[in-house]
Amino acid sequence: MARAGELAAGLREEVRRIEAVARERGLDFSEIVFEMVDARDVNALAAYGGFPVRYPSWRFGMDYERLEKGHKYGLSKIYELVINNDPPYAYLVRTNSDMEQKLVIAHVCGHADFFKNNVWFQPTERKMLDRMAEHATRVRESIDRLGQDTVEVFLDRVLTLDNLVDPFLPLREWMQVRRGEALRSGPIERARRSLDLVMSGGERSAAPAPSPGARPSLPTYDVLGFVLERCELEDWQREIVRLVRAEAYYFLPQRMTKVMNEGWASLWHSRILTGGVLDPSEVVDFADCHSGATASAPGQLNPYKLGIELWRQAEERGLDLFRLRRMHNDASFLDELADEEFAEKSGLFVYGRNSRTGRTEVLERDWRAVKEKLLQEFSWAGLPRIELAEDNYEGRGELVLQHQHDGRDLELAAAGETLKTLAQLWKKPVHLFTLEEGAGRHLTSDGKDVRLSEPQAVNSAHKETA
Amino acid sequence: MFRIDRDRARFREIVRGRLRGDLRKYLSTSELLGRRGDHAVSIPVPQIELPRLRFGENKQGIGQGQGDKGDPVEGESKQGEGAGAAGEQEGQHLFEVEVELEELARMLGEELELPDIRPRGDRCIDSEGGRYSGLRESGPRSLRHFRRTYRNALRRAIASGELDPADPRVVPIAEDERFRWRKSHPQPDSSAVIFHVMDVSGSMGREQKDIVRIKAFWIDTWLRSQYKNIEVVYIVHDAVAKVVDQQSFFHLRESGGTKISSAYELVLQLVLDKYRPEDWNIYPFHYSDGDNWSARDTERCITLLRDELLPRVNQFCYGQVKSAYGSGQFKKDLDGALAGSENLVTAAINDREGIADAIRVFLGRGR
Repeated sequence: MARAGELAAGLREEVRRIEAVARERGLDFSEIVFEMVDARDVNALAAYGGFPVRYPSWRFGMDYERLEKGHKYGLSKIYELVINNDPPYAYLVRTNSDMEQKLVIAHVCGHADFFKNNVWFQPTERKMLDRMAEHATRVRESIDRLGQDTVEVFLDRVLTLDNLVDPFLPLREWMQVRRGEALRSGPIERARRSLDLVMSGGERSAAPAPSPGARPSLPTYDVLGFVLERCELEDWQREIVRLVRAEAYYFLPQRMTKVMNEGWASLWHSRILTGGVLDPSEVVDFADCHSGATASAPGQLNPYKLGIELWRQAEERGLDLFRLRRMHNDASFLDELADEEFAEKSGLFVYGRNSRTGRTEVLERDWRAVKEKLLQEFSWAGLPRIELAEDNYEGRGELVLQHQHDGRDLELAAAGETLKTLAQLWKKPVHLFTLEEGAGRHLTSDGKDVRLSEPQAVNSAHKETA
Repeated sequence: MFRIDRDRARFREIVRGRLRGDLRKYLSTSELLGRRGDHAVSIPVPQIELPRLRFGENKQGIGQGQGDKGDPVEGESKQGEGAGAAGEQEGQHLFEVEVELEELARMLGEELELPDIRPRGDRCIDSEGGRYSGLRESGPRSLRHFRRTYRNALRRAIASGELDPADPRVVPIAEDERFRWRKSHPQPDSSAVIFHVMDVSGSMGREQKDIVRIKAFWIDTWLRSQYKNIEVVYIVHDAVAKVVDQQSFFHLRESGGTKISSAYELVLQLVLDKYRPEDWNIYPFHYSDGDNWSARDTERCITLLRDELLPRVNQFCYGQVKSAYGSGQFKKDLDGALAGSENLVTAAINDREGIADAIRVFLGRGR
């Protein structure tokens, strides 16, 4: 990674000025570290999720290639990149115009405020920059010992499970800890807790550090946590599961609040810039840039656009915006704000394939249908809801995953591959119960093959998890 | 920057199949080099998508914009990217964008590492329709070059002191006169003709034709970027061959036997009559599933190629598209009988993924 550069004096001054305006208007964030990078480097940083150092993996190379090409052919351009960290890190791209830099700085202030204050981010690791570097070191050590192929194959396997997590788990545990702290926060208790932290190898990950020996109670959505606790793994393997899980839980709140967060940042860059920060000569360029970022293609949802429209709706209704940004995630925010008026004003619709014509068509504009679909898409961080229901299926020590079907089928081929991986880690067969076009499906893998059958036991499994 | 370069190098090695064979099956095969409309194309970005428990493709989605119930939605993202899933690196990314054909050819060249074509020899052809840019001292009145004539007269008048500045009258005499003359310019030869010859016998199915269509488009695009003046001739054959227009070439479905020699004879006829090798760079492409009518006809094809066609063309390309019925014998016969022919290239195309490789084989020699 090329060293990111210091800001020029003029830009530093601009940052100071915009931060002051943002604070004056009520945003609350710790000081942001801005770094100046080249257009080429920003693609590399973006491929790494904003972090200067990640573990070696072809996946980052793939993302980089895609971003590079998009940039080269003028299809996409990254304006801003900000990391949820304390202090927050943000990158400015050298080739941006002054107006664009101001926009990005103001936008980043919005994100930094959101990271700091939104409740879903409270349990997140705030020293993630260091943590990512540490993860990279761990993986590299293993690679030096075992070779890249061995380590990477295992890493890729674990990654196929990285969406089998419980989006609500970190906050739930964090609240429990907070409650506990309020009850008994004597000095001895605090000391014991920090000792525990030291003893557990410095893993202070936001993801709850599993206490040794404790059996994660079933059922659970935290399949990765279960793997970490209960699968027989070598030390280096356990380390990889641990870091994949920590990274998954770190990124999860960003998935859960994408619309709100981008909307919030867009609302604020627009407010701050049009509130006296822009030079009159920059206003038209700003409007152009802003409308480009908040435009949508017909079949797509642009989180920037949907987000800022939701915030404007809240503003019109006279709601307390700061309170809303503290307590909601995308699903609950939409639930709160999307009504008939909003759906109509924003031109939202449900689309789907018309099996007769083979075209993708507007299916429904009724706001209730739109809202139901929106909530479905945004709840559970946009992931399929899959619960690990049993660890001793029919007395044979086999795992059972239950897909809580909401009308959207799983891609069964990929699901079979994932099951295979889980069975290899568990060293015993794994089952998945789901639906396909309304009919029950029972997928089983023993780690070598995948079998698909009509489920006999699906009813009992349903009952147990219901 | 060094780290990401290493990650990228590793990714490329995986895509090329040199490393991590276990990931090959997750490499996305979507529309490798697809064409959309006249200008918009998708730029293929190879993607490896690890299997996860994820939603299938048949789901509905939420959109924003105009249109009534039942109106088609265009430009929907292919995977119906769940709006919540914008976080990490999911989803396939097919960019759609307007690209000029020239730019497209450049990208293709870059992507497949194609060399620029060296036209045969460095012949210059005297163009027949030269321009009247030459000058002579005699000629018909109608071609008199007034300005040059006047200038000569003026020069003579000044030199001989005849010119009176107060009354600057200049009268040309016979030796002042200059006449335009036609001058021929040697022009570099930059004409090429492409023959797309397709076997449309019963065994060539829809998928096989699609492959030919995609391939023909990319070959045209590339060659157009290399030659100023290009003509494309479409020929279809089963037991007999005929020249057709582009539309029929891609949509015709014949049935019946296959006599490849009929097509080669037609190409030869056209080369002799219309596209003389002295004037044209010639590129025949022949696509078939490789099932010829008889060994005798194959022999006839080989004779035609060896004695008549190969000496006259820049490069003859034979692409054998795999089909359920084709035996694929023809390629073996060609490779066997004409091994060592410098300007004969054969390639087997098993499926859409093989298109890019076959293009590389066909155009990779820079002929």
